[in-house]
Amino acid sequence: MPMMPGENPQHLAVWADNVSFAYGDVKALQGLKLQVPRGISFGLLGPNGAGKTTLIRILAGLLRPQNGSIQVLGESSARKVAQLIGYMPQVPALYAELSALENVDFFARLYGLSNRRQRAQRVEEALRFVDLWERRNAPTLKLSGGMKQRVSLACAIVHQPPLLVLDEPTVGLDPELRVTFWDHFHSMTREGITLIISSHTMDDAAHCDRLAFLRSGRVIAEGSPQELREATGNLEASLEDAFLYFVRQGVSGDVA
Amino acid sequence: MSLSRAVAIARRIIRQFTRDRRTLAFIIIVPLVVMTLVGLSFPEEAVLDYVAPALMATLAMFFVFILTGVSFLRERAQGTMERLMASPVSRLEIALGYLLGFFLFAAAQALIILLFTILVLGVHYQGALWQIFVFQLIITVGALNLGMFVSTYARNEFQVVQFIPLILAPQVFLCGVIWPVEQMPNYLQAISKVLPLTYAVDGLRGIMLDGSTLVGVGLDLGVLLAFAAAMTVLGAVALRRGAPA
Repeated sequence: MPMMPGENPQHLAVWADNVSFAYGDVKALQGLKLQVPRGISFGLLGPNGAGKTTLIRILAGLLRPQNGSIQVLGESSARKVAQLIGYMPQVPALYAELSALENVDFFARLYGLSNRRQRAQRVEEALRFVDLWERRNAPTLKLSGGMKQRVSLACAIVHQPPLLVLDEPTVGLDPELRVTFWDHFHSMTREGITLIISSHTMDDAAHCDRLAFLRSGRVIAEGSPQELREATGNLEASLEDAFLYFVRQGVSGDVA
Repeated sequence: MSLSRAVAIARRIIRQFTRDRRTLAFIIIVPLVVMTLVGLSFPEEAVLDYVAPALMATLAMFFVFILTGVSFLRERAQGTMERLMASPVSRLEIALGYLLGFFLFAAAQALIILLFTILVLGVHYQGALWQIFVFQLIITVGALNLGMFVSTYARNEFQVVQFIPLILAPQVFLCGVIWPVEQMPNYLQAISKVLPLTYAVDGLRGIMLDGSTLVGVGLDLGVLLAFAAAMTVLGAVALRRGAPA
């Protein structure tokens, strides 16, 4: 059972309080507050420019909040957080000249898996998990877009992090592969791994255990997909309807 | 700082380059073509003997600067740098990893230029061959780090190439490659004193023409080493700046 939200940041996967970030005059995040329980899939939903990628980059330690505080798995040091999370960027971000196995092995080394036998085992597990072990020696350059996404996921999970930060991981995938990815994600949450997934598609949103709707750098609503739909007062409302409902309401808060 | 992470990055770079046969061929062939042109352009032995050390220093710097500048930029453009920055690898480990990885190819280019200059062009030299090579390597280390540092200020390949006329071309004119520094106006001489190629040219001429040792050109060597160290630190610091927004 996933842990329910609590006040103690130590018990949460992510605790963000009043986080702000701006690119010059453009405010990407404005006093954002967020609490993500451990062991669930948590979706960050919103249109382009809502602040999803900025928040993902802050969680991944690539940006520092200009205001406010953030803790990831009870840690506020970016260096410590880096070891605890797996980050999958929006583009596959792989070395085209290397094989799938070499790419995953490289990231295993960066995450400190120095024991050769242990590293080989973890690399194999990661590639088998994404169903690419049979293609492990193929140059990444020659893999399809979907396969590259799977290699990218294997690179993010090879060190078995307790938290995965995934920036639009299903963008560009065909419907069949999207289902496969969600099968992977569900099996990870069953093992207690927390997933934070940014997306702008409601199809992804429906798969998440909990969601935060983002708009103009703020969380305008947060809850389970069911709770968010019910909050509209229309039992047949889709998540898209729910998002538009909260946009029109201009409300901010937890509907749970 | 973990050396094993820097070594992992270096191994990956070496593997990438050795898989890219065309780039590998260019790394070998381009210095040969350029040095052949140098040989044909200076038929007089005495002139070639004087010009060759300066051109060896310039070309070593030039090729390595392009190699690292473009490679580093490509890493940022394809998103792999962002991925590295999200991992527990420190910026200094990344800079050191790149330095180690590219050094192999930079050293190969420096050796090709040296052997071609001595064996094919028949340029005369006084100092020990190995000391000439070591001095060349010190020049390439500085250029490697300069390429890394500068590339963090470029957003695409076009911009990084623009740094060649901005950073390298003035050094060719001001650092004693074409005419002696002493013959330039005082203010240009002052500028030449802060440019690394001045010390590269002076040191290499000292070993090749005057028969100096590495100790004998210690000042030049020291300045180039300090330049290399400064560029390593600046490159590491600038890495975060280069991360895509």
